[in-house]
Amino acid sequence: MRVYQVPSHTRLWLALAVVMASLPQLLRGPEWQALLLVVVVGIRWLVDRQRLSLPGRITRSLLLVVAVALTFYSFGRLYGPEAGVALLVSLFALKYLEVVRQRDAYVVVVLGYFVCATALLFAMTPLMFAYVLLCMTMLTTCLAGINHSDTRASRFRHLGRAGAMVLQAIPLTIALFILVPRVAPLWNMQLDSGKARTGMSDSMSPGEISDLSESSELAFRVAFEGAVPPPQERYWRGLTLTHYDGRTWQQGIPRGMTEADYLYTGGGNIPDWFQALRSARTAGQSYRYQVIAEPTQRRWLFALAVPFPDFRNEVGLARDMRLVADKPVSQRFAYQVESVPAARPAMALDGRERDLMLSLPPEAGGKARGLAQQWRLESTSDRAIVERALRHFRDNPFHYTLRPPRLVTDPVDDFLFRTRRGFCEHYASSFTFLMRAAGVPARVVVGYQGGERNELGDHLLIRQYDAHAWAEVWLQGQGWTRVDPTAAVAPERIELGLRGALQDSEEGTVLDNLELSSFAGSGVLGKLSQWADYVDFRWQTWVLGYDSAFQSAFLASVLGEVTPMRVGLALVLTVAGLLAVYALFLLWQAGQESLTVMEREYWRLHRKASDKGRPLPTGLTPQQLSHAIGEQWPRAASAATDWARYYQRLHYDPDHKPENKQIRHLRSLRNRLYKLLD
Amino acid sequence: MRIPAPLRAPYERWLVRRLPSARRVVLNQKRIFIFPTGYGFFYLLVAGLLFIGGINYENNLILALSFLLASLFMVAILHTYRNLSGLGLRNGDSESGFAGEEGALEVVLFSRRRDHHCIVLQWKGQDAQQVSVNGGEETSLWLNLPLAARGRVFAPRLKVQSRFPLGLLRAWSYVTLDHYCLAWPVPETSRDCPADGGRENQQAASSGRSGNEEYMGLRDYVPGDSLRKIDWKGYARGRGLNTKQFEEPVGGRLWLRWDRLQGIPEERRLSILCHWVLVLDQQHQPYGLTLPGLKLAPDSGDAHRWRALDALASYPEFN
Repeated sequence: MRVYQVPSHTRLWLALAVVMASLPQLLRGPEWQALLLVVVVGIRWLVDRQRLSLPGRITRSLLLVVAVALTFYSFGRLYGPEAGVALLVSLFALKYLEVVRQRDAYVVVVLGYFVCATALLFAMTPLMFAYVLLCMTMLTTCLAGINHSDTRASRFRHLGRAGAMVLQAIPLTIALFILVPRVAPLWNMQLDSGKARTGMSDSMSPGEISDLSESSELAFRVAFEGAVPPPQERYWRGLTLTHYDGRTWQQGIPRGMTEADYLYTGGGNIPDWFQALRSARTAGQSYRYQVIAEPTQRRWLFALAVPFPDFRNEVGLARDMRLVADKPVSQRFAYQVESVPAARPAMALDGRERDLMLSLPPEAGGKARGLAQQWRLESTSDRAIVERALRHFRDNPFHYTLRPPRLVTDPVDDFLFRTRRGFCEHYASSFTFLMRAAGVPARVVVGYQGGERNELGDHLLIRQYDAHAWAEVWLQGQGWTRVDPTAAVAPERIELGLRGALQDSEEGTVLDNLELSSFAGSGVLGKLSQWADYVDFRWQTWVLGYDSAFQSAFLASVLGEVTPMRVGLALVLTVAGLLAVYALFLLWQAGQESLTVMEREYWRLHRKASDKGRPLPTGLTPQQLSHAIGEQWPRAASAATDWARYYQRLHYDPDHKPENKQIRHLRSLRNRLYKLLD
Repeated sequence: MRIPAPLRAPYERWLVRRLPSARRVVLNQKRIFIFPTGYGFFYLLVAGLLFIGGINYENNLILALSFLLASLFMVAILHTYRNLSGLGLRNGDSESGFAGEEGALEVVLFSRRRDHHCIVLQWKGQDAQQVSVNGGEETSLWLNLPLAARGRVFAPRLKVQSRFPLGLLRAWSYVTLDHYCLAWPVPETSRDCPADGGRENQQAASSGRSGNEEYMGLRDYVPGDSLRKIDWKGYARGRGLNTKQFEEPVGGRLWLRWDRLQGIPEERRLSILCHWVLVLDQQHQPYGLTLPGLKLAPDSGDAHRWRALDALASYPEFN
């Protein structure tokens, strides 16, 4: 085999491909990686200009040892995604340093594919994918270059060729992406990027939700199929908090219940409470939607009341009517839900549960208890107590504010009877306290309320500042009923959202820094951010969220029925069809050795005669052809002579080209001749 | 690719049937074979690894990357094929040589429209040569051919292959051009000149042309005339290229004769004749040659010598 040096017209592309493919890691990883690449590219540049000889084995080994040591120094280990990728990128640079032969260049290109793939592990945005496509074009350009051993080849032709090939490959890639069946992971490789994220925590103490309200980060998106609930019904339940220690609300499980009793993840034994819920699934209005949650590193998910998940999404349903993921949500995560608000009454209240929902810390809120006892005595039903409490909030000078004064001694009494200025969490907390004190089972629910609509994608965006807390009370015959005491104090909070509620107050300025990130930002910017969100949303649902469930649903809508046979056939036909189109386009040659009508006539007869009898040599004149036919088939001799004579008359007449009529006559002569060749 | 021994003969027969020899061949789908290279398989392996990675990390973008690699491979099949398809090969010149030495054949590559890059041509067991052909142009290539025995040495099957553009696949074709090289007999010294006519037929020793021939005049130079007969003095004076003509000597010409070597095996006869052709040529003696079925009139010069040698090489079939 011949050994090529890498042609000089390819060196630029190789350097560019190496730098471009490494760039995402250089921006993400430690600084010494960028330095290493700069050194390597510099050495390479000098070597290619013959100012320096190629570093020897010792130098290269030394560099390798240094790179490994620095990786260990930066990450504390050599395995794991972050360290592994850093090591891969260093090796990529070092392999580039030692490129001499064509084979080395091939290895660099292949390493480049892996480096591109790792860039997609950490960033899955459309922009990153476009960038990776660009890198792939560069790597393909390198391949085209190292296989072009003409020293005078133009380097930009390589780029053009590679670009054309990548463009032709993209439709095929899309076809494969849609049609190749998604397989379940062979082994589990969950990638935990380990970054802390803003979002809800699993408890609620004063001030926690108001902190969230200063963040405009996306919490999740919701795409409805069909009916969309009105704004005042959009309560995205996340957690129910049942245990109160006087300051903080926390999750609690009723005494004596195990998690297995509490959480149903599909299949197996169906607990009683889920059977009851399921039988009520058809009651009244239902909303079907897909939620695409941003990573929270937590297991709980958000949904409207009485959610029925698709258990195939690895989502379970808890007894307090909320959704729980099987694993902490470490990447964007999509799940299908059907919510039936009218199914609430089907949920019974267990005795043990009731105890939990009435429990209060013994020492807190003495005054509040007194108030609640009084309501109890004056009211005939639980319902009336709820009304009474809401009226209390409405009639007394309670004030909705993001910056409440500090609660000093007893948070419940202090708030209810002294400061009376608070945020949704204060209202939810004190309302629940009052209900429990009055003997009505109650709990705090935290989640998000509202959502902004993207007109382009027709989906809702729920941001961190939509975080909200409210209460649920258990009423005989109605089951768990939502009560939002904040709505009693500041109804505009529920109808207009946080921003609407605070717009006119002096606190509006707090939210000024959120202005740009919301669609409410007027004019071009608002439109642009709608578009950006729409693209991101579609990317999320159609590309990143294209899993086996989505795929089978999509294929079912296209192919009718999804059988392996049909999918396989569709795959083969699409790929073959695309390739056939390309082949036509690539191999089409205008003015290809096309024959004139007369030449075709000659060769048809020649072929026929050769097939029927002895093979005839090529290069016969029409006259010689007719003689040859006459020798083999004496019967046909005169017909052959007629044909040859007419042929010559048409073909060699310099004055005019044969007319269609004459050609038809020639054809009939030939056909007559055919019948005699037996 | 190595073919197992029992399949070799049927494979060869199949190849000969499928790719008959011709003076001019244009590569098309009937003639082109295509198969991944080692690197191509490695590349597919990488695509497979990325696919598994994409599945395990549940990362659709890495999956898409593996599909892109696979798609590029499929597109490369077409491009690699296209690089050979439409390439034409035809007979060019040939350079003869003595048996046991090397001759050379010229292969002309032509293309109607498309550029064909980095085409590698190779005869079995020999070094490959690489060439590119631009659309609408011709490129020629001389390929060396060992001349084993006197006679016509036909062009062996030529392997035309290309890995362009990505090196993932190799497209190749076998072309048997109806083309040959002449292997002249190896000269064999003999004491007696198998000739008659002329003044000396025992030992050709002469003291110069003028001893044999009478100067007759000048005529226009024709390519192939011996350089020694050119009127160089006249050329230097600006009279153009002219060839001096000499009158035949009275004693007639020297005829090298096949039938004067009776009793000697054919190949040796040809070798002896060859030796004398070379000796007489060296001495600038005009000579004729008679072989069964061929008669070369006496003459001298390079062209004549080649004609004589080619005749000796082609014996017994001249055309």
